[in-house]
Amino acid sequence: MKLTRITAIALSIGAVLGVAGCATASTPSAEPIVIGSQAYYSNEIIAETYALVLENAGYTVDRQFSLGQRDVYVPALEAGEIDLFPEYTGNLLQFFVPDATETAADDVYAALAKSLPAGLTALTMSPATDQDSYNVTKEFASKNKLESIADLATVDGLILGGAPELAERPYGPTGLLEKYGVTVSFQATGDTTVDSLVAGIVNMANVYSADPRIQQLGLVTLSDPKGLFLASNVVPIASEKVTADARKLIDAVSAAMTADDLVAMNVRSVDEKLSAAVIARDWLVSKGLIK
Amino acid sequence: MEWFIANASFIAGLTVTHLSISVGPIIVGAVLAILLARVIPRRLVNPTRTVLGAIYAIPSLALFVALPALIGTSYIGPTNVVIALTLYVITSMYFSARDAFGQVPLATLTTSRALGMNSRQLFVHVELPLAVPGLIAGLRVASASTISIATIGAVVGVRDLGYLFLDGFQRKIPEEIISGIVAVCVIALALDAGLWLVGRLMTPWRNAKVNRV
Amino acid sequence: MCNFGELGAWLCAEGTWTGRYGLWNLLAEHLLLTVVSLLVAALIAIPLGMFIGHTGRGTFFVIGLGSLSRAIPTMGLLFALVLLLGVQFRELSVVLALALIALPPLIAGAYSGVTTITPGIRDSATAQGMTTRQLVRHVELPLASPSLIGGFRIAFIQVVSTVVLAPLVGLGGLGFGIIQGLALRNFAQVTVSAVVIIVITITGEQLIGLGQRLAEARLVAPKRLEKP
Repeated sequence: MKLTRITAIALSIGAVLGVAGCATASTPSAEPIVIGSQAYYSNEIIAETYALVLENAGYTVDRQFSLGQRDVYVPALEAGEIDLFPEYTGNLLQFFVPDATETAADDVYAALAKSLPAGLTALTMSPATDQDSYNVTKEFASKNKLESIADLATVDGLILGGAPELAERPYGPTGLLEKYGVTVSFQATGDTTVDSLVAGIVNMANVYSADPRIQQLGLVTLSDPKGLFLASNVVPIASEKVTADARKLIDAVSAAMTADDLVAMNVRSVDEKLSAAVIARDWLVSKGLIK
Repeated sequence: MEWFIANASFIAGLTVTHLSISVGPIIVGAVLAILLARVIPRRLVNPTRTVLGAIYAIPSLALFVALPALIGTSYIGPTNVVIALTLYVITSMYFSARDAFGQVPLATLTTSRALGMNSRQLFVHVELPLAVPGLIAGLRVASASTISIATIGAVVGVRDLGYLFLDGFQRKIPEEIISGIVAVCVIALALDAGLWLVGRLMTPWRNAKVNRV
Repeated sequence: MCNFGELGAWLCAEGTWTGRYGLWNLLAEHLLLTVVSLLVAALIAIPLGMFIGHTGRGTFFVIGLGSLSRAIPTMGLLFALVLLLGVQFRELSVVLALALIALPPLIAGAYSGVTTITPGIRDSATAQGMTTRQLVRHVELPLASPSLIGGFRIAFIQVVSTVVLAPLVGLGGLGFGIIQGLALRNFAQVTVSAVVIIVITITGEQLIGLGQRLAEARLVAPKRLEKP
């Protein structure tokens, strides 16, 4: 089983390098489209929607899911080992251009399209977003009268929780100080960020906007009037091996997926503990994208 | 339990992947360690000890990610984890292999020589069989650690049983994590029992009843 | 030194050495977590291992534990503990997980240290009128010490390399540089963090090995007895 998978990857690499010219052929090819996903349950659900819709149209798909974070899978995308990957416009742009200044969704998308390595294309972006956001508990927000990040400027003793890399991100402590005059100390909380916020270990936290626990725990997402965060819409990144017909199928999925849909699917994953395939299939059926 | 039952076939699939990436390194690593233990001359023992000790101390996460940059392997797929696990098996097995061969009594070796055995015969028919208990003991340690370390591969995208830890922690499903721990322990103990049995079968003289006069 | 490419630049950058997530602080945290976990484990393991060795009760337990201990996936154990105890207790969870993996080699060390004592020594101690308490304190403990320290050596190597996972649950330690460095594609940071971990692992192991040899030497040739 393992050998065939390795062979498949080897073949697909060969195909990308050798017969890239044939990539726009219009019939579904027998060669599998390698679909990747991050090690993030929500991203895996989106990848599964791509996989199911392509399989439904007769394509062969090779699922290479939960490939860690960008540092692991972007080199693989660049090397042509993966053909299709659900991404987020803002976060991916920042990966290629760490000091990117665009914040509005369309600007971010345009900048991303320009900064992608050769051979990779950003397909049409979805209205669904899953972006970094700063959140506080309801009690903390009402006690300090917080609505926007700017309101934090008068609060003392702020401790920001987030993934270790947030310490160095442009929207991390440095960006908070430069854009909003907000001083925070940083506490790396890894995958325990939301729990740490609720437990009071930190008093503001970087949470992805589609995280179901924002609603469930009644967290307050602070607005970002000065555009500290880049808009981050769901966007499929495709290699040249993904044909024009296949792209149309994926574009239809992107167009159908709203921000609320994405949160609702995440809620099912966390609450009903269902697998990505089940959640993705139900959603595709509800949108009439597959039967 | 409910989660476990609903996802039993998924866990079974992860278990198969887990075994498929760990068994190869255990076998290949053990063979290489035994060869190394035999071919490295006495004066190079200390430098080898230092080098292998250093490799063993490299955090697995760092090694998994560093390999594509160091030796040009593919970024995704299990290759990096397989190579790293093989290295860990070699480093851990090398020391026990040296000890195992070192414990073969000198008298037995000289007797065998006196009987006219050449070096190859001596190795195959005397040293190797007598070293089996020590080798198996070392292999049991290496195999259990390999099964356990392989879970870290999930962090770099190898979808083995470690996936249940990362996914379960993100989605806050303790049953998912516990299922993973149990599955890892079960396959490690099964391999351990298998190796113990192999050791018994390969050393029939140890089980024989000694007839006391 | 700052001119030596990426690595030099990072080593000279502000915040590399000092501050909450500076190398010094992370190193101290790494060592602290290691030492505390080993001590917690030792408090349980040494009495337990010596009890089993002394009485012979529960021997099967020691043997079974050896294989199981290495098989337990620490990442899963750590995540399960944090999830079940709550994130407020993440320090406790990390120490518990680390202590759990340190227990088996320490128990095995204490156990085999006691069981390998020649029966004659024990008998003569009893014949001299020693109580069980005195026997354990003045005979078994000193004689078992090399094997005990050997157990510490194995436990140390396992614990010090597992502390690397602590940042996954929001603590520090040198694994922070690896996990943050990977996400930021800062390979200088990853390399330096890994090298520091390798150095402290090898240094610690050598020091414990030295302690073991000293303990052995003291038993083999008690200098005070040589010249009456």
